[in-house]
Amino acid sequence: MEGRPLDDIALVERARNGDVNAYEALVQQYQELAFRVAYQVTGDAADAEDAAQEGFVNAYYALGRFRSGAPFRPWLLRIVTNEARNRRLAAHRRTALAERALRAQASGEAAPSPEAAAEADEFRSTLVATLGRLSDDDRLVLAYRLFFDLSEAEMAEALNCPKGTVKSRLSRALGRLRAALPADIRMPSPTGENDG
Amino acid sequence: MMADPSRISDVVLERALRDLGPNYSYPPTPNLSTAVRRRIVAQPVAPVRRLALWRDPRRLALVAAVLLVLATAAALVNPTTRDAIAHFFHVRGVIVNRVASPLPSLSPVTPLDLGRRASMDEAQSAVSFKIGVPPALGVPDAVYVASGIPGGEVALAYLPRPGIPLVKQTGLGVLITEFRGDLIPGFITKEVGPGTTVEQTSVNGDPGWWIAGEPHTIIIQVGAGNDQMETLRLAANTLVWEHGTVTYRIESALSKTDAFRIAGGLP
Repeated sequence: MEGRPLDDIALVERARNGDVNAYEALVQQYQELAFRVAYQVTGDAADAEDAAQEGFVNAYYALGRFRSGAPFRPWLLRIVTNEARNRRLAAHRRTALAERALRAQASGEAAPSPEAAAEADEFRSTLVATLGRLSDDDRLVLAYRLFFDLSEAEMAEALNCPKGTVKSRLSRALGRLRAALPADIRMPSPTGENDG
Repeated sequence: MMADPSRISDVVLERALRDLGPNYSYPPTPNLSTAVRRRIVAQPVAPVRRLALWRDPRRLALVAAVLLVLATAAALVNPTTRDAIAHFFHVRGVIVNRVASPLPSLSPVTPLDLGRRASMDEAQSAVSFKIGVPPALGVPDAVYVASGIPGGEVALAYLPRPGIPLVKQTGLGVLITEFRGDLIPGFITKEVGPGTTVEQTSVNGDPGWWIAGEPHTIIIQVGAGNDQMETLRLAANTLVWEHGTVTYRIESALSKTDAFRIAGGLP
C-alpha cells in the first residue's frame, strides 16, 4: 500500500501525456488505500467503491492541473474523500455507520476466541463503534495517521489544511474519541504483565 | 479490566488504534482498474500541450500577465478600448476555457455539494453581500450556504414546475448561485467543447456570458492555489454575470430569453 513517490512521479507524467497503462498502474497501486479511506467516510462498501472509482476518474481528468512532481497519493485521497463525502447522504446514515461497522467487525471474526482474545475483540469493537460516531474529519485524521501511516505533510495535503495544524487536529480528535468512549469500556489486559 | 475512559492516555489510545489498524475488517477491495480504464479510454483527455496552458494556474497567471501588459498598453494608446477589454476578460470569479476535444464523461447527476441547507435569514447572515432573489421565481424551494468560501456563497434552488423544465445535471429546475467574484478569481472554471456556444453578453448593463447547448464541465475550486477540486460536474445552460463585487450564475434548461427574464429582477 505504501507509495513509491519516484515511481509515482514518472507514472503521473506518463499518464498526463495520455499513457492509459501508466494510469492503470497508479490505480492498481492505490485502489486498496482509496477504497479503504472512502469506506472510513461512507461506512458502506458500495458507496466506497463508487467514490473511489469516481475519484480515480476525476483525478485523471484533473491531471492537467496537478502540480508536476507533487506527491500523488495525498492529492488522490483528497479527491476520493470529497467524492465519499458527497455520497454519504443523510444524517441517519452517519448514525447507522457505527452499527454497520460493528456488524462488519463481528462477521469478520467468526472463530470462537479464548477469553483474552474475546476481551480484545470487545475492546476493538467498542473502538470501531466509537470511531463511527466521530465526525468525518476526526475519523479521517486518526485513520490517516494511525491506520494508513501518512506523514504529516501528506495529511496536510489530503486534509487540505496547513501542515502546522495537523498535530493539533490529531490531538483534538484523540480527545474527542476519548470523550466518546463508553464509561464502562473494558481495556484488554496487557499481555505478559498480568500473571501476578 | 474496567477503565475510566478519561484516564486513558493519548499514548495508550494511539497504541490501541495502531493495533486496531491491521485488524480493521474492511470489505474486500473491488478491482477498480478495469472500470477506470474503460471510462478514461472511452473519453480521452485533450492533448496535454494544448490544455496545459490553461489548466496550469501558474501558466494561466503568466498568460494573464502578458495580456494585461498588452491591454494596458492598448488602453494607454487609445483609452476608449479599455472598457471593451475589461468586458471581454472579466466576469470575476469565472474562467471559461474552450477545449477542442470531447469532454470527460461524468455521471449526469453528480452530487451538487452546495453547502449546508439554511433559512434565507441564516444564509444572509453568513455571506458578505446582499442576497438577490429573482421576483420572476419568488421564494426558493431550498437555500444553501457555503461559508468556507471567502465572502460566502449562496445557492437558491428551485424545483421543476410548469414552464421550468428539469435539468438532468442538477436534478433541479433552476439553480442560482451568488458569490463574491472579486475575492475568489478562479472560483469557477468552465470548460466548453465544440457543442457548446459561449456568447458575450450584457446583463442589466453588466458584462456576462451566456453558455448554452451541450452541457459543459464546471470545476469549482476552493482554497488558494492548491488545485483543490471541490466539485467537477456537468452544467446546463448558464447565464453568468457580475454586478459590483458579486458574481451571479443562473443554471437551467431555459432559453436565453427566459434566463434573461429571471436575471432582470436581480441586481
